[in-house]
Order: sequence, then structure tokens, then C-alpha cells
Amino acid sequence: MEKYFSEVITPLTEGDGGKLEYKETYGGKVYVTARGECSKCNILNRCVKWAEQKIKADLNMDVSIVCIRKKPFFWDK
Amino acid sequence: MAHVKVQRRSMRPEEYIALRYGWLKRYIYENKQPVTPVFIKEAHQIGDNSFEYYDSDYREINEGDMLYTPDGSAFFKFDCIIPNALSGQEVYLFMKTSSEIIVKINGRYAGGLDPNRSAVLISPFANYGVCKTEMYGFNRSKPDDERNPETSAGRGCRQIFGGIYTVTVNNAVKSLCYDCEALTDIIGSGAFSDEYGKIITERLNTALNMIDFDGDTLLPGQVLAAGQYIEQNIYADKAFKGSGRAALVAHSHLDLAYYWRRIHTVQKNLRTVLIQLRLMDKYPDYTYCHTQAYTYETLEKYYPEVFDELKMRIKEGRFEPVGAMYVEPDCNIPSAESLIRQCLYGQSYFRSRFGITVDSCWLPDVFGNSWILPQILIKSGVKYFVSNKMSTWNDTNRFPHNNFVWKGIDGTKIYACVPPTHFITWNEPSQIVENWEAFQDKSTNTETLSMFGYGDGGSGATEEMIELMHRFNKLSVMPETRHITAKRFLDENFTADKSFDVWDGELYLEMHRGTFTTKSELKKYNRLLETKFRDTELLCLLGRLNGKAYPAEKINELYKLFLVNQFHDILPGSHITPVYRDAIEDLKKIDSGLSELVPKGEGLFNTLNISRGGIEFIEQPNGEFTRLNKQGGFYRVCAEPLSQATALCSSENGEWFSLNGLRAETDVYSVSFAPDGSIVSLFDKKLCREWVKGAFNKLRLYDDKPGNYDAWDILPDYAVNECSISVETPLHFVKKNGICAELSAELITSSCSRLKHIIRLFKASEEIEVECIANWHEKHKLLKVHFEPDILTRELVCDTSAGYIKREMNVNTTWQQAKFECCTHKWFSLDETGAGVAVINNSKYGAGITPNGASLSLLRATERPDPVSDIGMHDFCWKIVPHGGSFTDAKINDLALIYNSPLIYADIENTPDFMRINGLFLQSAKLSENGKMAVLRLCEQNGRRGSINFNRSVKLLNMLEDEISEVKSISYSPFEIITLGINIG
Repeated sequence: MEKYFSEVITPLTEGDGGKLEYKETYGGKVYVTARGECSKCNILNRCVKWAEQKIKADLNMDVSIVCIRKKPFFWDK
Repeated sequence: MAHVKVQRRSMRPEEYIALRYGWLKRYIYENKQPVTPVFIKEAHQIGDNSFEYYDSDYREINEGDMLYTPDGSAFFKFDCIIPNALSGQEVYLFMKTSSEIIVKINGRYAGGLDPNRSAVLISPFANYGVCKTEMYGFNRSKPDDERNPETSAGRGCRQIFGGIYTVTVNNAVKSLCYDCEALTDIIGSGAFSDEYGKIITERLNTALNMIDFDGDTLLPGQVLAAGQYIEQNIYADKAFKGSGRAALVAHSHLDLAYYWRRIHTVQKNLRTVLIQLRLMDKYPDYTYCHTQAYTYETLEKYYPEVFDELKMRIKEGRFEPVGAMYVEPDCNIPSAESLIRQCLYGQSYFRSRFGITVDSCWLPDVFGNSWILPQILIKSGVKYFVSNKMSTWNDTNRFPHNNFVWKGIDGTKIYACVPPTHFITWNEPSQIVENWEAFQDKSTNTETLSMFGYGDGGSGATEEMIELMHRFNKLSVMPETRHITAKRFLDENFTADKSFDVWDGELYLEMHRGTFTTKSELKKYNRLLETKFRDTELLCLLGRLNGKAYPAEKINELYKLFLVNQFHDILPGSHITPVYRDAIEDLKKIDSGLSELVPKGEGLFNTLNISRGGIEFIEQPNGEFTRLNKQGGFYRVCAEPLSQATALCSSENGEWFSLNGLRAETDVYSVSFAPDGSIVSLFDKKLCREWVKGAFNKLRLYDDKPGNYDAWDILPDYAVNECSISVETPLHFVKKNGICAELSAELITSSCSRLKHIIRLFKASEEIEVECIANWHEKHKLLKVHFEPDILTRELVCDTSAGYIKREMNVNTTWQQAKFECCTHKWFSLDETGAGVAVINNSKYGAGITPNGASLSLLRATERPDPVSDIGMHDFCWKIVPHGGSFTDAKINDLALIYNSPLIYADIENTPDFMRINGLFLQSAKLSENGKMAVLRLCEQNGRRGSINFNRSVKLLNMLEDEISEVKSISYSPFEIITLGINIG
């Protein structure tokens, strides 16, 4: 999963100034951080859903992604 | 008694106007018919105009479906049916989108859609009936602006398809909307008097009262009556007078890379050009200016039919190329030669395609401008310099001029315009008034420049901006306005019969000071490749003189790629992660490409027209030392200018050096170190003096939290929060031989960044080299190395690449205080009469200034726009050069050139006499663009006058390689750059 994120999901999100980055898989859930533009995106949930669907399509795995927004200190919480 | 806050709950007249203006907008589009079915194919862009498709075929998309993916593109196709019932009417394609879309109807480019534009006129491209429509959509995360709340809310990587429609436009309603836009801005902006605002409110309210908004259709007579009322009671009323005069120039700022990659700019540019061409179709008086030869080149290459249309508008004088440069580069970090090449390649393109030499330099967004520019521009056919940032972004002082004369380092003067307001405006009445009010040269000039059009990601002016403009001269309260070309504004306002204030100095931007340091690797490559281009061209020219082919095409291709990477959001480091990756890939490609052009030789060659006699590192496979991750050795070099070099190793052992604890003795110095590698005392045995007073070669780490402009800025108080750097391995002896002794310390930060601080002392040399190998894992930190020598000075002398600039170190005035971080090139020096300490670097550009000394900025760790900026390994060097005499007596500039131009392995039998020039730096030696001359660019860098006699007739050229005269001798003045051409047949 970590390799898949680093090779597929993360580079695509970087293309729009963001970064969805794999952190760990725990309790059946995939934890990722949202940095850059992703961290303040109003529709991040749609992107997370897309990532889940893409993982299903590419890896044939059903995953639930938990996304943690890592906003820089100068962006509002 | 409880306090009760009184709140007005009834609607104010201006709120009621705004409400009805909102309602009115809903009636602009009529006869709305959904277009179905719509098919879509999603993709990921992988090249300028190439894509990786996610689906093998198109799929149907319906309203409410999701489209786009992160970093995604979408291709639409559908049949658009225009019913006969709409015969004779203008029919539009309508789509609300947060993305950027190019529309093609029946195989022809019809226009563009984006968050600020929802309709494209399709009638000129379609007969009634079925028309084949294709659309190319590009996801966008950073909008041109935040003005449209509907589309801003929907932006992101996954968007909801809101459907596509054919519509007609109710022009009367639309016109009334534009009236409302102009008038509500007057009412609400605060830029006009309260009294006038009150009158407009009353009369606009009366006009809107004429319309019954309760029905689902507006009565046309009522709409026309409201418009007529506004004409007769607002526009015709000239009782209130405005003052001033503003020229309205349409443009679009297009960052070649920023929150998007360079490959995406190809379509951003197409969309921008298309939108502007369609506005020209609609409005015969409309003119627009567009910069950057590179963008014209991509349009010509990928969209020739649109380029042909653009050429036609250029001939008409309505589409105006501005900005003589190839791209809008950073103007702090690139060397003089790079800036000259920006002009050479830019002007060559404009001349070859449009037959014009562009006489303006148009750099609205550049982060300050080097003092060397006026001479370069004037000698490149440019008469006018335009740049906005200083007036609107300075954080400390208000830049005091808007229309003025800029005097360069060598005394060259150029007309300069720093417009009073931002380069992205949407042409609202209040923005024109604000511009005139902020205009500071009213006593000598009568007209201010107001640029309008959305930008950063391109797109430019909208129909609304033009419609507003058409109303300005009906509003007596407005400054007098005229919509003209940039050239006309410049030609008519900067005339010899007018007097202008003169700004003599760099155009320093009091902001974005971090861009001299952010993205260290880009800076390193920039210095390396600027030198490598010089060496390659010089060696290829020598080859050409010996009958070999000169690889002009390949050099031009690589040079242009290099110039693109000097764009003002690439080289400064203010961009997202993929832009950085692209840049590094390009720079590596250029590096290897240049290496292929020159065959390696056995002998060492001095490419400089400067004698070498110092100690230098020479790469060798089995060398004793490792420096900048390369093996080699230190040798005393002996080389005449442009000649083969001899590298001598010493037969002595290392007795010239001893170390006792942290105290080292050499034949030149007694040095006391601190465990971290900083120097506590540096006693010069020859001059019998101490060089150190305070922190010296001291690495310091600071909290670096500038806020939203993270990659761009360093705040004035950065030094308040210093972070500790711990010594993990104290300074210790590593190795020595007959020439060099090496010491090393290992340091660690609280975030576990490791810094290897290597000190190299040399036999019979005042120079001390320092190498820093950093494994950098910081967040919001700034690493600097400080120098507080025992020198009484109030000036820091900095290299500009074409002469030096003295910056005041005292902080008496706000102008001095604001320059706490400046751009320097290869060196800076702190001098008192008869002595000084210089610091020469191999890849850095940021210099910190304090009353007691200076610092070299080494690394930053910013998060926006790139969350992983600068994380990883870095390796860079600097050299400390205490010197007797002044920095010019000590030839610090020559030493810095030598330090940055290592000897190269090449076998050159002889160099022609005409290249052996003394007194001036041979900045460039190349084959002329026409292939007939050897071009020599000579640069005076030490502030001296002199003359050179040639034993033959040579051509004096401008920087575009046009012949000015034939001469047998030249006189040169301080900091002059001279271009010569020698016929070589």
C-alpha cells in the first residue's frame, strides 16, 4: 500500500500542489496525511473516495482511508 | 441594565440594489437547452501536448456526475444542436466550471471557458443544425482570482459536472448588469465620495424599481427603461468631476510554472490567446498585450491555426507582443549573460516571426530587478522597462516613483514605469481611481498606467472588463481614461521633452527575500550551468576557428531550455513539487547535453581570460581529497589566460601545518577554532593583524516562519528565534599534504539534520575553504553562516555578476533596515581602507546584512507551495579570503570567477589573438547567430576606465548582434558591457 501510494496516488495529488501521503495501515484502515493544497481543500472527501476507488480498481482491495489534514501553521485550522 | 446591541434588520438601499443585481444576472441567458449526450474521456497530461488516457474510449457523462481526477484532464465530445428557431440570433455554448476549458466547434478553435467565463459564442463557427464540438478541460487548483464564489467553491481535483447548454443572450439585461457592476462598485468601494455614492444609490435604486422582478420573465420594455434612466440620470449628469488620467492596457500575467507544470502552460496560453482573440472579434476597439516569446513559440508549434490568427491581429496592431525577453525571468539571480540571452532569444523570435523589435521589457511580477538591467535592455533594443512589484508589494517603504528614469550600474538610463497598482485588476471604476490617487509623479506626468486582466494562470481580460471600460468616460467622476496599447502609452508618456525623476540604484523589492535561497539545488545548477554554457560556447568557437562545426542549433535549444528554467517562479523556488522535479530534470539534461558538445581532452585548460596562480581542486579518479562528492586533489595552478594550465603538487610534506587542540598554525595564519568549526581567532602573520571580531564562519539556525508567502519571504525578525545546533563530533584533524590540511566537525540540529562542516587551510595562501554537507530535515528553518570580521565598515560590497553594488549596513533609515537580506552573486566583501574580508561562494545568492557583519544564507525549509522543499542532501562550498588592500586591489572578483570556473580537461592548441583581451572579463565568446562572426562579450567588473587597441578592424555590436560601427580600438567605462564581432568567414 505504501509503495502504491508513493508511486501512484501521491504524485498525482502533487500535480495540483497537494500531497496525500501514506502513513500507516491500522485496524483495517489506511491512514494518510493531506498536505499542501490538499490540506485546505473543501472537497477533499471526494478525492479520498477517488483514491479508495482507484485502489479497488488497481489492487482489487477494499480500503477505508482516514485522512489527516496537516495544515501549515499559517493556514486556518 | 443589560447592554443591547442595536442591529439594523431592514435592508439598506445598497443591499437591495445588490440583491436585484443578483436577480438580474439570472435573466442574461435565455433559450437554455441542455446538450445531451455528452461524452468524456479522462486523462493525465504527460507532455506539452500529450496525454495518458485513463479510459480506452469515451463514456457518457450526465449532470451531477463527477469529473476530473487529481492532476487530470478531460476530453469532451458532443453534438451541439442549434435549432432553426434561433436563426439570426447569437448562440452560445454555456457551462459553469471551476476548470479551464478550450472549446473547438466543427474543428475550429472557438474560445475558452473557466471560472470567470461561462459562455462561448458558437454562431460564427457553426451553421444551424448539428455542430461537432470538442472540449479539452484541465483541472485547476489555483484559480486566477477568488472573485467568483460559485466556481471557487467547486474547485478541486474532483468536480461535479453541471451540464452543458446552448443559450442565447438577452443583451439588454446584460448591458444593465454591466451598468450595475460599475455603479455598485462606485457605491460600495469607498473610492468615491459618500455624497456621490448616495446620489448613485438613489438613482440606481430608482432605475431598478422600474423592473418587476416577481415574474419568471422580465418585461423587455422595463429593462430598456431602466437602462435609459441610468443613461439620462447618471451618465448624463456631469455635476461631479473626477480628476486624473489613466491609460488602460489589457494584458494577462501567465506564470510558465507555479501551481502547475510548464506542460500545462501550453494550454493555459492557448486558452488565454483564444479568449483575447474572441474579444477582439466582438470589440473593434479592443487591444491586448502578451509577453514571453516562449509562449508564442508553443502556440506556433502546437496550435498553428490560432497562431496564424494571432499574427493577423499583430499586423493590425491589436494583439501586441510586449516584453523583449524569452520568458519573464527572475531578475536577481541570473547572471548578466543569462539576461542578455533572454533578450537575444526573445528579440530574435519576435523579429523572425513578426518583423518587430519589441521596445519594452514587461516584467509585472518579478521579485526585484538587478542594477545591471538598464544597460542590458538599452543594448538589446529596449526603450522602456515596466515592472509592478515595488509599488504594491514593498513591506517597509513606499517606492517613490511610477513614471521615472532608471539609472543603471554603468550610468545607462532607461525609461521606467512601476505602475501604482497591482498588475492583476478587473478594471473596476474604483481600481482606476485608486491607481490615479496612488500615482506619485503627477507633477511631471499626466497619465498613469493601469493594467487589467486576470492573471498568474493567464486568461486576461473579460467581456465585463471591456464593457466597464466603455462606461468610464460616461462617468464624470472618473479619471479620464483611454484604452490603448502598451507601446502607445510608453511612447506618448516617456518623451524627451518631459522631465523625470531619476532612480539610481537597484530596484530592490522589499519582500520575497527568501527567493535568493529557497530550493538550493536550483541555485547550484544555475551557477554551474551559466559557467558551463560559457565554457562550451568558447570551446566550440575555438573548434570552429579550427575548422570544426559549431553546434549552434543544439546550443540554442539547450540555452532556451535553461532560460525557461530561470522563470520567476522556477529559479526563485516558489512552486509546487512537480515543477521542481521538472526543473531538475531539465537542468540535468542541459548539463549532459553541454558535456556532449565538447570532447574531453587530456590537458587542463583555463577558459578564463584571467591568469591563474592559486590553489585549486582538480578532479582525479584516485585523488586524495573528496570535495563536493568528487575525488581529486589540491594543486597550485599556473595558467595564462585562455591557455593550457600546469598543476603543480608540492613535494613537501605537511610540516607547514600543525594542530594543537583547536589551535592551528600555518605559514600564513594562527587560527583558533571553536568545536563547531567556527573561527574564534584568525591572526594574519604577514599583515600582523587579527581578522575576527565576532561570529566568524559560524553556522546559525533560525526559525523561519514568514507565513503565507512561505517560499518567498524571510521576515526582518528572523534572527529573534535562534535554534541550537549541537556539536556531535568536535572539529578534528582529517588529513594534510604539502598543500592542503583538512579539518572537520559534525553538527546536529534538534530535528536531526546533520551538518558536516569541513575546513580546508592551504599552504602559502590566505584563502580558507569551507564545505558544508547537509542532510537536511527541517521545517521552517533558515541556515546561515555568519561573518563578523574586525573590519570597520558600513558597506557590504556584493557581486552583481557584472560589477559590484555597495549596500549600507547601518540601520538608521527604513530604507537601510529593509535591505536586511539581499541578492549577491559569487562574492561579498567587508572592507575598510587597506584591508577586508571577502566570502566567495559556489552556489549561493542570499546575503544577510547586519550592522556588525554579513551572513551567507545557505538553506531554507519551506512548506508552501512545496511541502517537501529542500529536504534531503546538500553539498556546497564557500571560501573566506581575508585580504590586504581593497577588494579590487585583491582581485576578489577574479578569484571568484576562478573559483566558479574550474579548469577543464580540454586540449586547445592555441587561442586567437583577438580573444586575448586584458582588463575586461570575457563574459562570452560565441559564434554569432548569423554564423559569420566570432562574438566576444566583454564586461568591466571593477569600476575602472580604460581602452583596448586591436590589431585589426572589429565590429562594435549591440547585444542583439546588430552592427553599430567598425572600430580598431575601444574605450570602456566602469561596468560597461561591450559586444564585439570579428568576421570569421
